[in-house]
Amino acid sequence: MNTSLNWLQDHIDLSDYSTDALSDLLTFAGIEVEGIQERGAGVDHVVVGQIKSSDSHPGADRLSVCQVDDGSGSLRQIVCGAKNYKVNDKVPVALPGAVLPGDFKIKEGKLRGVVSNGMMCSGRELQLTDDHEGLLILKTDEATGTPIGELFESDTLLELEITPNRPDCLSHLGIARELAALAKRPLKGVPHYGASSVTQQPAKTEEITLEASESCPFYTARRITGVKVGPSPDWLKGKLEAIGLRPINNIVDITNYVLFEMGQPLHAFDVAKLDGGICVRLANDGETFQALDGNEYALQTDDLVIADQSKAVAIGGVMGGEDSGVTEGTTDVLLESAYFTPSHIRRTSRRLDLSSDSSYRFERGIDPAQTIGASELASKLILELAGGKAEDVLLVAGEVPASPSPVMLDHGRAQRLLGVDLSEDEMGEILTGLGLESQGAGAWKVPSFRGDLERHVDLVEEIARVYGIDKIPAREVAFFAEPSKEDARYDAHHQLRQRLVDLGYDDCLTIKLISDAQLADDLCALRLGKQNQAVPLKKPLSQDHTTLRPSVLPGLLDVAERNICQGATSLKFFEIGTVFSKHEKSPKVLESQQLGIVLSGDMTNASWHGETAQADICDLIGLCEALFGGGKQAVTMRRLEQESLLVAAEVLLGKSVIGRLGQVDPARAREMDCQGPLYVAEIDLAKAIKPSLSA
Amino acid sequence: MIAQLDAIHQDAQAAIEDACDEAALEEFRIRFLGKKGALTQAASGMRDVSKEDKPAVGQKLNEVRQALTRFVEARSAQLLALKDAEAAKGIDVTLPGRRPQQAAFHPLTQVMHRGISALRQMGFTLAAGPEVETEFHCFDALNTPEDHPARNEKDTFYFADGHLLRTHTSSVQVRTMETTKPPVRIIAPGSAYRRDEIDSTHLSVFSQMEGLYVAEDVSLGDLKGTLERLFRAIFGPKTPVRFRPHFFPFTEPSFEIDIKLQPKGQDPRWIEIAGCGMVDPNVFRQICESRGDDVYDPDKVTGFAFGLGLERLAMIMWGIPDIRLLIENDQRFLRQFASA
Repeated sequence: MNTSLNWLQDHIDLSDYSTDALSDLLTFAGIEVEGIQERGAGVDHVVVGQIKSSDSHPGADRLSVCQVDDGSGSLRQIVCGAKNYKVNDKVPVALPGAVLPGDFKIKEGKLRGVVSNGMMCSGRELQLTDDHEGLLILKTDEATGTPIGELFESDTLLELEITPNRPDCLSHLGIARELAALAKRPLKGVPHYGASSVTQQPAKTEEITLEASESCPFYTARRITGVKVGPSPDWLKGKLEAIGLRPINNIVDITNYVLFEMGQPLHAFDVAKLDGGICVRLANDGETFQALDGNEYALQTDDLVIADQSKAVAIGGVMGGEDSGVTEGTTDVLLESAYFTPSHIRRTSRRLDLSSDSSYRFERGIDPAQTIGASELASKLILELAGGKAEDVLLVAGEVPASPSPVMLDHGRAQRLLGVDLSEDEMGEILTGLGLESQGAGAWKVPSFRGDLERHVDLVEEIARVYGIDKIPAREVAFFAEPSKEDARYDAHHQLRQRLVDLGYDDCLTIKLISDAQLADDLCALRLGKQNQAVPLKKPLSQDHTTLRPSVLPGLLDVAERNICQGATSLKFFEIGTVFSKHEKSPKVLESQQLGIVLSGDMTNASWHGETAQADICDLIGLCEALFGGGKQAVTMRRLEQESLLVAAEVLLGKSVIGRLGQVDPARAREMDCQGPLYVAEIDLAKAIKPSLSA
Repeated sequence: MIAQLDAIHQDAQAAIEDACDEAALEEFRIRFLGKKGALTQAASGMRDVSKEDKPAVGQKLNEVRQALTRFVEARSAQLLALKDAEAAKGIDVTLPGRRPQQAAFHPLTQVMHRGISALRQMGFTLAAGPEVETEFHCFDALNTPEDHPARNEKDTFYFADGHLLRTHTSSVQVRTMETTKPPVRIIAPGSAYRRDEIDSTHLSVFSQMEGLYVAEDVSLGDLKGTLERLFRAIFGPKTPVRFRPHFFPFTEPSFEIDIKLQPKGQDPRWIEIAGCGMVDPNVFRQICESRGDDVYDPDKVTGFAFGLGLERLAMIMWGIPDIRLLIENDQRFLRQFASA
C-alpha cells in the first residue's frame, strides 16, 4: 500500500525517525517496506518563475523561446516545448545547477541553436504530481524567485507490503496505530471514528431491502441533497496525489480519502439515477453488469449486487456501475457504507478477475466497527466541501458483526514457544500497546480491527513481532539421528552422480513437463511398456509442457541437441530424476527415479596429442556394467528390437530387467546434426540399486 | 675339452661386444647357446670324457653356460635400456598434458547437497513424498483455506481426478507426521510446481528444500539457531542472517529470512532467501485427525518448519543472472561449476 509519511503524521509524531529508521521499524514488525520515494524534497535551485513573453523558436516549430522572470531582477531566456501556458503564468523554473529527481542535472545550453538558461518543469519532473501533460501552472501569489519547496510540502512515500492477515494496516490510520504500538507512543488526538453522533434508523424495506444478509450482514446509506460536484480543494487533491491517486471530483475524492484514511470502502450513488430504494441481493441467473471500468461482467447467482428497483447498480464491495456514479450534474447522493463478508467478496472478485481498492479490503476483512464512523466522516466532508444537506438519520439494515472474542494468553507456554525469558508484564505491555485490553486471568479483549487475533499463538506472534526476533537468543542443538531409507537412497544416488561426473558425464536437470511431440517419442513408449500410460495435465500452461514426463530421455536428447548447436563435440549427459506413469487399470500415478544417459562423440578430450577416441556402444554397455555390476549379480545385455533404435538391448541385473540402452536411429541423429552415432540408456534406479543403510 | 670350453668362453666374450641390436643378440644366442650352438656341440663331447674327469669338465661346462647366459641377459638389459632412452628422447615434460574429461555437478545438485549435509550434521534425516499430491496434503492439512489464492487452476496444476502437482515440498511435512511419531526432524528436497510462465526469474517446475522439526518445547530460539547455522554453512561462517515477521498459512509466527551478501561488483545488501515459522496449531490438529491419535496435540508438541527455493539460492551463490540457464544444461555453463 502506498503510504504518505505526511498523512501518517496527521495521526502520529514521527519527526524523530529518519526514513531508514522508520523503514526498519516497520519491516521488522512484519510490514515490509518495498520502496521509498522522496517527493518534492531536496530540489534546490527550483524557484517560482513568471513567463513574461513567449516567441516561436526560429529553428523548431514545436519549441518556443520564453523570457522568464525568476526573481533575480533580469529576465532569463528558456527554450520550452510545452504549450499549456499563457504569458504571465507562474511555473516552476529549474535554474542551472539544479538536480531534478532521477539525477537530471540542469545546465545552461543551447536548444537548436538558441540559448536556454534553465528549464520550466512539469509536475512529474519534480515528482510533485503524476502530471506530465505540460508545465505545472502554479496558482500562487508567491513572489517570483521563491524556492518551490516553500510551495510544496516535501513528502516521503512508503510502499508497504501488507500481509493478508493484516487488513487493519490497509489505511493511514491503521499504519499509524501500528507505529504507535511499535514506537511506544500515543496517537495524536485519536480520531473518534468509532463513536457516533448520528441517529441510526432501521431502514424501511422501500428504502433498503437486505436480502443477502449472509454476504452483507450490515448495510448503511445516507442521503445528502443539494451538493455541488466540483474539483476538490488542494489539500484533498494533494493527499490523494501523494499516494498516486488521480483526483476526480469532490464526492469521489472524499470516498477515496476515507478509504485510505480509515480503510473503509464507501460508494456514492447519484440518487437521480436510482430507481427507488436499494436492494442488497444475489445476482439473478444470467444477469450482466456494466461496471465503471467500462467492462461488462456476466454474474452468477452467488455474486452479490447492490440494486435499485430495476437493475444492479454495483457489484457489492467490488465495483460500482457505469450509469449510477456521481458526475458533474449530480445534486443528490446516496452514500453507502457497509460490511461485506470476506470470503464472498473474494470469490466474486477472483471469478470475475476484477479487483479494486474496495474488494482488496473487504476480502481481507475490514473493521466492522468503523462502518458508521466512516460514513459520518465522509458526510461531514461532503457538507464541508460540496455543500448540501444531509438527512438527519443514517439508514441501517442488518447487524454489525460481533467483535472478536477474547483470547487467552498462557504466560509459561508463550515463553516456551518464544524461547525467551519475557515477563508477564512485558508481554502485557506489548499487547496493550497493540490495543488489546486485559480482562484478567490471562484473558485479552481484542479490538474490533484485529479480527486476525483468534488464538493463543496469534498473541504469541504479536509479542514476538513487537519484542523483536533479533532479541530472541538463537539456540543451537544437534541430535543423533538414525539414517532413514531416504538418506540411504540419497547417498546411493549421490555416489552414482559422483562416479558419472568423474567419468566426464555432465549432471543435468531438465523440466519434468514435456510436450505432446516429446511424448510421441518412441523412447517414451519404450519406458512405459504396453500397460502404462503417461499422465497429462488437465490445463497445460503451454504447448511445450502438457504432460508429466514418462522418461528422462526426451529432455536429455533436447539437451544434446542444444549443445550440438553450440558446437559441443563430446556429448556425455546424464540426469537422475522422477518420471511419472499410470497403469491403464488404476488411477494412481506411479513415480520412480530414473537415470538417463546420452552419449555421443569424443570420449577423450581433443588435444595436440592426436585423435580423440569416439564413443561406441561398448562404452555405454561397459558403463552400465561398471555402474551396476559391482555386487554379486552381473550386468548382462539381452538383444531387443525397437523401432527408434538401430541396435538395442535390455539391461539385466541378474535376471531382472533394470533398463534399456541402444543406438538412436541414425536418421534422427542426423536431424539433430549429430556427427557420429548417438547412444541412450535409461535405468530404473529402484531396480538397479538396493541401497544399504551402511552405504 | 676344458680348453675347448675356455675357447668358446673367450669367443663369446668377444662376440657379445658386437651384438649391438636384438637381431645380433639373437644370432649370438643361437651361435653359442642354440640347439646346434657351440656350447651345445661341445657338451655333446661329454660322453667321450673319462669318468674321473667328468666332474671337472661338467663344472666347467656349467660355468661357461652360466657366463654365456649372463652375457645375453646383461646385453639384453643394455639394449632395452638404450631403447627406453631412445623412446624418451624428444619428450618435453613442460608441454601441456592430456586431461581426463571432467564434468560437473549441476549447480542445483551442489546447493542441495550443501544444505542437506549441513542439516544432516545437526541430526535431520531425509524424507520424501510424491510430487502428484492430494489437495489434503498440499493445502487442507497445511491450514490453507479453500478460497486461498494459491488454490485455483490459475496458479496450480490440477489433474482431471482432482489430484494436483504439489506447489511446495511442505506436503512432505504432512506425509511424514502422518506416518512418524514425534520427535521428527526431517528435510525434504524436491520439485514443486506452479503455473508460472517461464521467464528470467520464474520456472513452472522448480526445486525446494523443506525442513521440519517437531518435539516437545521446540522454540523460536531453536528455529533461529538451526537456520542461522544452515545459511552460514552454505554461505560462509560470518554471513549475517536476519528474520523478518511475515505471514504464511501453515506457520505462526512466520518469518522471512534475509542474508547479507555482496553480489559481485555491488554493495552488500540483504537478500530474501527463505520462509519459516513455528508450525501452526491447526496443522497439528489436522495431523491428529488424519492419524486418529493425539501424539501431535498442539498442547503437547511444538515445532518449526522452513522452506527455501534452491534455484534462488544457486542464483545468489554464483551470481547466475537468468533462472533459465539452470534448465538449459549448456555444457559451457555447467562446466563452470566443475570445481565450485
